[in-house]
Amino acid sequence: MLRKLTFLAVSAVIAFGTLSFDLQQESENPGDRLVGIWEPSNGRSRIKVDRIGNKYYGRVVWLIEANDADGNPRTDINNPNPDLRNVPLRGFRMCKDFVYQGDDTWSEGTLYDPNNGSTYSGTIKMRDDNTLDMRGYIGVEAIGRTDVWKRLKMPSKKKK
Amino acid sequence: MLRNLLKLTTAAIVLTSTPIFAQTETESTDSFDDIDWSLYDDLGFEDESIKRYANAKIEGLSPAKLISFGYDFQGPYTIASEDMTLADGTTIAGSEALQVNSTAGIRAGFNLPVVSQTNLVWQMGANYWNTSYNYAEAPTASDNPLHQTLSEHGLRTSGVNTTIYKPLDEEQFILFQGSADMSGTYGSSLMPAQYLKYSAAVLWGKRPTEKKQWAVGVARTYRVGELNYIPVILYNKTSANNKWGTEALFPARVHVRRTINPRNMVFLGYELQGQSFRMYENLPGFDIRDEDLEIRRGEIRLRAVYEFSLKNFIWMSVQAGYRINYRYDVDRLASGPDIYRAFGLLDSPDYAQINALTNPFYVNVSVNLVSP
Repeated sequence: MLRKLTFLAVSAVIAFGTLSFDLQQESENPGDRLVGIWEPSNGRSRIKVDRIGNKYYGRVVWLIEANDADGNPRTDINNPNPDLRNVPLRGFRMCKDFVYQGDDTWSEGTLYDPNNGSTYSGTIKMRDDNTLDMRGYIGVEAIGRTDVWKRLKMPSKKKK
Repeated sequence: MLRNLLKLTTAAIVLTSTPIFAQTETESTDSFDDIDWSLYDDLGFEDESIKRYANAKIEGLSPAKLISFGYDFQGPYTIASEDMTLADGTTIAGSEALQVNSTAGIRAGFNLPVVSQTNLVWQMGANYWNTSYNYAEAPTASDNPLHQTLSEHGLRTSGVNTTIYKPLDEEQFILFQGSADMSGTYGSSLMPAQYLKYSAAVLWGKRPTEKKQWAVGVARTYRVGELNYIPVILYNKTSANNKWGTEALFPARVHVRRTINPRNMVFLGYELQGQSFRMYENLPGFDIRDEDLEIRRGEIRLRAVYEFSLKNFIWMSVQAGYRINYRYDVDRLASGPDIYRAFGLLDSPDYAQINALTNPFYVNVSVNLVSP
């Protein structure tokens, strides 16, 4: 019995140590500098970027006009897929699948513009800790537009 | 011992479980009901020295064309020419109205961003327009040289342009547009750079809301055929429900927009189009190049335009309307590259030839790659 318990304890400690090492590696992932809350240049929305696995996603967490003309929460009315036009814009993941490439650059992702329902290829370049160059483009990067996003302070309160 | 081992095991399991939950939290699969959106209402910039700037676009504006390739076609009309006065004081007789069955040509251009930042947008572009004249009966040497040169050489414009948008703060901005165009009856090779025509506009304006921007300024323009300096007003507005809008750079163009959806738009309005075309290629037996003549062509296009997305960012534009001739006269440039008449307010030489055109219907179809 004692031997079994000892084995169990040692296994747990090894497992903990291994997992802690992995998590330490992840927490030191330089790509996580992208995680945070960002404001596009037009100031009409705020985007919260999180990491899921080894990819980064940005979700709309604030809209300057949260409701439509009828007072209802704004939805993705311009989505080319009619089935998705009732999806609320607040909470919508408009940046998807960005992978950190090193050199302060995230790419291989897409950017969605709810103003026209278009999805663009995207590249993110971190100019400094608080400034992102978000480039949406069509096919090749030369044909596109760069928007500058600024980092916002994190909310002081915690979620409910 | 046993108790200590159990404690150790329990602690290890708790500790190893906690990071797993943390990983799940990172994956952020919260239902929206669990999120207090008000947390994000009042957030300042991390770097408090950062400024916000007025965006170059407003909500609902039609997409900018990055690359455009189109074809323009005008239906039948007539050109009646008065006498043409030559440099030596002699005249060539004008003609009765000659029938032009059609005027048509390619219109291509591109406009690509060079700098696209919050505090500066700079674009460069180029364009090429060709206009061929298809007379009902091909003019001969016995006809006025204007008809012969139009029939044999047509008109074309090749140009480069630039646009700079500079926001000053969250509301104010400065807009500069400039272009250098080579317009004339030249063929496969361009004319010398001395025949370039330079146009420019500079405006100061405000963007008080996300759906409205306006600006005022001055422009040096050839849109009515000859050089002019005029005041210009930019006014872009989108209605509260995004269904209607106005896109105007008065007096160059004014359109009312009906947005069916962001991928289908209809416009009603007009555009002034014009340029000074150098009569460059010589005609058999007539050294027209030495006459220093330029055709001052200016026209008003009343039109309806339907623009829609074919697929993703490939858009088609179909416009139909009525072309109203404003001026199609010929100037002799005795001294200097231009004659500035200030709409007749200044004392200036007479035109070397005055022409009258009737007005046809026209269509223009283009395929465009639009901006994200």
